Amino acid sequence: MAATPIVRFTWRNCIIPQADTVLSFLAPSFRPVLCTPQTSIAQFSTSARRYARDPNRNRGVSALRHTGPRRRQTLSVKKEDLPKPVLSRKLKTPVKGDPQHGLWGFFNKDRRLIATPEEDLAHGRAWTVQELRQKSWEDLHCLWWICVKERNRLATEKITREQLKAGYGDFEASERDKTIKLTQRAVRHVLTERWYAWEEARKVARDDEEVDLTAEGEAYIPQIDMDEVELDEELIKDEEFAAETAEPAEPQHGRGRSGKTPQTTNGPIASTVTE
Amino acid sequence: MPLPRSRQSGRVIRFGRKELYLPRAVIALTHTPWLPPTQAKFVVPLSFNKLDLRDYLYHVYGVKTMNIRTYIQQQKVQEGKKGELLPGARQWHRPRAIKKMTVEMETPFVWPAQPENWDAWSKDIFSEVSKSYNQTQDQQIEDRKESQKKEADTLEQQAKDLLTGKKKWRPTWVDYGDEKEVERDIKL
Repeated sequence: MAATPIVRFTWRNCIIPQADTVLSFLAPSFRPVLCTPQTSIAQFSTSARRYARDPNRNRGVSALRHTGPRRRQTLSVKKEDLPKPVLSRKLKTPVKGDPQHGLWGFFNKDRRLIATPEEDLAHGRAWTVQELRQKSWEDLHCLWWICVKERNRLATEKITREQLKAGYGDFEASERDKTIKLTQRAVRHVLTERWYAWEEARKVARDDEEVDLTAEGEAYIPQIDMDEVELDEELIKDEEFAAETAEPAEPQHGRGRSGKTPQTTNGPIASTVTE
Repeated sequence: MPLPRSRQSGRVIRFGRKELYLPRAVIALTHTPWLPPTQAKFVVPLSFNKLDLRDYLYHVYGVKTMNIRTYIQQQKVQEGKKGELLPGARQWHRPRAIKKMTVEMETPFVWPAQPENWDAWSKDIFSEVSKSYNQTQDQQIEDRKESQKKEADTLEQQAKDLLTGKKKWRPTWVDYGDEKEVERDIKL
């Protein structure tokens, strides 16, 4: 037993002096030479080295194998100081939910668990296609999303009703759902109509010389019969001058050919548009 | 509203760029008291994926979600055709699977309390009616089983009688003799 510490001692003494900087990188090769020879122990031994004590004090201590702390081990906390978990649901502190949480959108406005059958049944008929034809895209889109949210609410409440065995209310909810679906169908109908109208107009405009579909400059350049415009201008100016003075005025021909249509010739332009 | 960030990496969670104006999907929130209040479970269409739900919840309800778990619940095989009230025999179908997604949210959400009074839903009448309905169903099944057993027992008894020679087998047809011309007097 006494032999092994000596070996360890000799190993510790084998440090090369720091002053010898030249040989410092050759330390491993010099080590056996600088070591003081120990005659008391055998140079060669077939048996493994035996230590007096395991240097690892925590050997065998494992959290995975639930060994617990080793003997005479002091921990930073005491067993008595540890908080005890509350297992009873009644004794637990109630969690405070976020009052502005987005999931409230899955409930009714009063934020109750389920709406009563009377409330679900209190609805009118669905929007008709005729009514929706007059609405803008923004209005229709808004209405669609209201429908989507309402259907989500009804689906949520249906599951809740089944879970709690709450009672009646499935029929009323499904009637409401059908009405919403009809509204959604009407919205889609109107939008499809509009799409076809637009498509047809596009086809017509493709062959129309007055319409420019390249999105460069003005989309609509009316090709007006300039003689008609000039005639109209003449007539109007004649009337104006006749009303103001007795002198007849010379019509200005140059103004009518400037390309831009004057404000006074609304009649002929409107007629070309309708054609 | 700042964009949601991943809890692990802290990166901003990106959304898809395809704009969907008129979605038809219906999603339902389910009550899950066993989950922590920061988690919510949804029943979604089978076509939905995690990215869809994350996008949907953020843009429709303003709910920021961190992590999403998906579970598809396979349904049991049922008797009868789909949507039939009275199931026909030897016809089987499997209802469509249910997809459920559990999301982890940024803020906790606590469900509203149950109503104290269930009179508006007529809970008592409903439970009574469903109870009696179930009883009738069970009774019908029992009756059917009993009649089947009775039939089987009779058949067994008849077979035993035949085998032991208690009764002799006889064909069911009756011998009425040769054919006779009845109307001989009529002149054609």
